[in-house]
Amino acid sequence: MTLVHNWHLGRRMEYPYFESRPKRQFAAIFNTNRCIACQTCTMACKSAWSYNKGQEHMWWNNVETKPYGGYPQSWDIKTLKLIDNGENTWYTDEKDEKTSPYGVYEGDTIFEAASKKNINQWAVGYIPEDKEWRSPNIGEDVAKSNKADEYSSLPEHSRWFFYIQRLCNHCTYPGCLAACPRKAIYKRKEDGIVLIDQKRCRGYRKCVEQCPYKKPMYRGLTRVSEKCIACYPRVEGKDPITKGRPMETRCMAACVGQIRLQGFLDDNPKNPVTWLIRHDKLALPLYPQFGTEPNIYYIPPRWAPRPYLRQMFGPGVDEAIDKFMVPSRERLAVMSLFRMAQAIIFEYKIEEGPKVFETTIHGKKFEMFNDTVIGYGEDGQEIVRTTIEEPVYIRDPKHYNSI
Amino acid sequence: MKKNYLLLKRYGVALLSCAFLSSALFAAEETAPGVKEASEEEFTPAKEVVEVKFVQMDRPYHLDVDSLQGFFKDAKAVTVPLQKQDKAFPNGGGSVSSAEVKAIHDGLTIYFKISWSDSTKNARAIAVQEFRDAVALMFPLGAVEITPAEHFSPRMGDREKPINLWHWKADWEADLLVKGELEDVEVQYPNMHDDFNFNPYSAYYHRELITSIEVLSGGRAANNLLSQPGRGRVVEDLNAEGFGTLTTQAHQDVNGCSKYEDGVWTVIMYRSLITVDPHDVQLVPGGTTYFNMAVWNGGEQDRNGQKNISTQWHPATLERVAWQ
Repeated sequence: MTLVHNWHLGRRMEYPYFESRPKRQFAAIFNTNRCIACQTCTMACKSAWSYNKGQEHMWWNNVETKPYGGYPQSWDIKTLKLIDNGENTWYTDEKDEKTSPYGVYEGDTIFEAASKKNINQWAVGYIPEDKEWRSPNIGEDVAKSNKADEYSSLPEHSRWFFYIQRLCNHCTYPGCLAACPRKAIYKRKEDGIVLIDQKRCRGYRKCVEQCPYKKPMYRGLTRVSEKCIACYPRVEGKDPITKGRPMETRCMAACVGQIRLQGFLDDNPKNPVTWLIRHDKLALPLYPQFGTEPNIYYIPPRWAPRPYLRQMFGPGVDEAIDKFMVPSRERLAVMSLFRMAQAIIFEYKIEEGPKVFETTIHGKKFEMFNDTVIGYGEDGQEIVRTTIEEPVYIRDPKHYNSI
Repeated sequence: MKKNYLLLKRYGVALLSCAFLSSALFAAEETAPGVKEASEEEFTPAKEVVEVKFVQMDRPYHLDVDSLQGFFKDAKAVTVPLQKQDKAFPNGGGSVSSAEVKAIHDGLTIYFKISWSDSTKNARAIAVQEFRDAVALMFPLGAVEITPAEHFSPRMGDREKPINLWHWKADWEADLLVKGELEDVEVQYPNMHDDFNFNPYSAYYHRELITSIEVLSGGRAANNLLSQPGRGRVVEDLNAEGFGTLTTQAHQDVNGCSKYEDGVWTVIMYRSLITVDPHDVQLVPGGTTYFNMAVWNGGEQDRNGQKNISTQWHPATLERVAWQ
């Protein structure tokens, strides 16, 4: 084992390989508050990559209802139990913007739990059986409630559920990559996408076992494992639609609820993804305590109980929800870029506009300005331009009855 | 107190890591991370020699265990002790304690007969939790004399000390018997696409539609032998030079047959003594070679390094050909 820095955990941790970050990291932000679980992302992925024989059980992208849903069933509970040592707490009194923005995680990661338990494996894990991969939408819309006659009121609902959208996290320290005994899994230096070499894979299912998010999947027909490929031809700009520009994946581009923004985590503070994750800390990693530094980030649902959310997204939850409920001028502008373009936005610029609205939210003053936000592509060319207030178009009376 | 602990945790880890890294780097000269060093006795071959008996035989039309078994009656059986693989991550195995090896040749082909006890027959690897039974023989490549001084690892070989591996798989045997020579997912899940619904009369089942779509598979596109239908064999011919380097050969030369009866697997692997492939071990009557072996028990989720291994090379002498 070597020691690598994991900024989600705010500390160094054990990992079988040395720290080697990609030039820029494939990343995305999902706003769980807006998701309606229409599964359009799920079907966009399915119809592109896993519609074939032997892939019937595969949903590289899926949307599950929390707390009762799970694909494969109970994947998160089972892995959380494996790393539970009774001290899975966070020390949050001291923070460092760059190395420990959420404080320091004091529990074990999947790698450290394996080394402490002395099981002679790279990480703890389990293989979900075939029956656990069935019914991907099990528990859909089932609410958690303590009392039958309880009604919900803000800010936190006592009867609640929310949707969580999942795909491969293309982790900085992937559990699957660590687990593969023959190095058939690799993380690309150019964009951080994690892939299984289909020639070298021998179907050992160590990746299925040791990925805590359960996103590598075994294909019985061809006896090897497959996983989300982050639509890498699109990310490479091979799709003719964007004329050579890096393009968002199928699941991102298909999002009807406009909850998704894909991009790259890099050092540019004016990159919308980097800004929301690293600077504004509005979007949080999913189960950072697993220790893989996942790269899909979530704006937590504001109505769900905080202890549950803290377990799922770490100690940054309260700050993120406060920020989401009363967005700052810049945050509102950057959030307006969600689903505005198929080409990946590398930088944003805000042109200030007039104040259009003012109110108080939970005792805090909120002002809205009709700013214009512009998104630029990799080449610095303008991709998209939008305003905070959606423009209103009055339909010509002769088209009143047409679609 | 908490703060002190944290400081110690944050910076102490850095200090410790320096100490750990320097020791790790020191140790890394010999081994990779997650790999323990082999002991001296592992480099010493076993004393008991497998005598590969020359048997003049009319090659039977069907090369199955029943037709071949009789030719082994005069060959001496050697019992190879097996143990858990405990050197390279992931460790595992330990459920099979020994295997019996017999070998013969007819001047053209060598036959190894291996048998071991296994209470469960696992001849399919289609469900995600299913693992196959398997057995492998490995041979050092080139004319090598195995001595303690040579340090030729009996575990997957080593860098610049390549090995040739013959890997029999129980599910490949099952594949051979079906049309198209690959067991389909339908044998495991008759109606898998319909949410694993085992109802064969499902209203949504359109077999023609499903089967009319060309199979899109990364494994097949990349020519992964495991994914291919119609391999025509049950033994895979491979090379390796250390842990994690196992690679399928472009030219497959080994075949075999098997039988599972009363809790015992009997596997016969055969190959021409001499091949044209430079990556194959060449076996010469009158000469000595070495072999080592491993057994996988699918019922115990054995695969890759999770296996039952012999930790020593075993000499095998090929009897001279005496045509009568």
